[in-house]
Amino acid sequence: MQTHPAELSVGHPRRGPIGLIVETLVSIGERRRLIWYLASSSIRRNEGKSVLGNAWLILDPTLQLAIYYLLVGVVLRRPEPAFPLFLFAAILPWRWFTMAITSATESVRREGRVMQQIAFPQIVLPAAAIVSSVASFIFGLIPLGALYLVYPERLSVWVLTIPAIMLVQVLWTLPLAIALSAVNVFVQDFSNLVKHGLRLAFYVSPALFSFDRLTDIAGNYPPLDTILLLNPMVWILNAYRSVLYAGESPDWIALLITGLTSIPFTLLSIYLFRRLSPSFAKVL
Amino acid sequence: MGIRYDLKRSRRKVARKAATQYERLDERGRFWALRGVTLRVESGESLAVIGPNGAGKSTLLKVLAGIIAPDEGTAEVRGSIATLLKLEAGFDDELNAEENILLVGEYLGIPAPEMRRRIPEILEFADIGEFSNAPARTYSAGMRARLGFSVATSIEPDVLLLDEVLSTGDEAFKEKSRKRMVDLMKKARAIVYVTHDLDAAEEFCTRAIQIENGRVIADGTASDVIGAYRKRSLK
Repeated sequence: MQTHPAELSVGHPRRGPIGLIVETLVSIGERRRLIWYLASSSIRRNEGKSVLGNAWLILDPTLQLAIYYLLVGVVLRRPEPAFPLFLFAAILPWRWFTMAITSATESVRREGRVMQQIAFPQIVLPAAAIVSSVASFIFGLIPLGALYLVYPERLSVWVLTIPAIMLVQVLWTLPLAIALSAVNVFVQDFSNLVKHGLRLAFYVSPALFSFDRLTDIAGNYPPLDTILLLNPMVWILNAYRSVLYAGESPDWIALLITGLTSIPFTLLSIYLFRRLSPSFAKVL
Repeated sequence: MGIRYDLKRSRRKVARKAATQYERLDERGRFWALRGVTLRVESGESLAVIGPNGAGKSTLLKVLAGIIAPDEGTAEVRGSIATLLKLEAGFDDELNAEENILLVGEYLGIPAPEMRRRIPEILEFADIGEFSNAPARTYSAGMRARLGFSVATSIEPDVLLLDEVLSTGDEAFKEKSRKRMVDLMKKARAIVYVTHDLDAAEEFCTRAIQIENGRVIADGTASDVIGAYRKRSLK
């Protein structure tokens, strides 16, 4: 048997905001294996159920692209040159963003049963949702790569900067995912609101249209143009499009500012999560 | 050295007024699953918690397990904890037995190599045979319970929290699990055992408390408290 004095395992003294945030960040580090395990098992879980299995990771974005291509390219006749690539460069990251947010919003509520039985840092649940959503983006890069066979002139070395843009996107996904996952435990209506919120955000982001067209339109409705510039996804999608479609360097300064401004929101969301988390097991 | 519980007056708000006894509501209409509970379990003690359904026994265990925090007062536990609150804690329907064992280990914060080392033993004890390669959704209720029991009891904790688990599975497994419980109770430094099985409580525990309507109404040696409880419920 161990002879060391037993450590305090339940009943740590209440901490202030900074203490809570630090404690949470440490617990994320300590439980990275759990995050990884939860994420990878959620990917494997989907594979067993369908005939095509993980092929859907590639088929899904391809079909989505086809639909938007028909809608915007053929029906609305608004094509930019190399339109499929133009669309895909923004729709693929947007799709990742949507999946991360929707699955994270449900993540804590979904594991209610486990929380009734085991005490663990619940912050790992939204974190795992984000990690597993990365897979959908990575696999989506395969059909994207295939598009370069059609438009080889669009491929440039700047493609290699994608991880940096992904990082900025994760930085902005985090505060939203964490805050929504906590609030959704108490008010389930949030998962419905999130769906529509994301759809609205999609149309005020340069996904179907170019940034220039979007600012043109927004310029006619004064408050809208400022709101547009405050949307972090605008800058993130712009960066993807520069790199994947225009074959040029992303706007590093805009990316850096976008990334840095996410940090206070992330800390705030962690604090919110930790203030609400003691009640999770009571409510679920 | 030792394990200490300083549980004072924990409470639980539930908006479940319809099914509530009025004496458990406070002036603001909140429901107190437990209130005014002061309790200390020393190293080497095994405590039986008895009382009618809905008295707050399971809530007490959840507080001790760190699943819910007290709204009033404090609760402290020293040492590693193993909980058997419900069987099949943390199982994922789509994963097989081995993956589920690892998953639960991760939830509990047990290093993966250590958990991996225990897999053969856990599977052998659970005795689910060929099903260990099938996803958990295909398991019968008994198989799930046996696997849950094996996982939870494979961990050697300082503090063991049990909620009515000896009545698991068929007769053969019951006998086997009873043996293991006795083993565990010998190894653990402190045990809190919530049960309706008064015989088992008397057999395993040194001390007992009786909870009713969220308050501790009796505290003493297991034979005293359980004896008095038996007499009362016979009346």
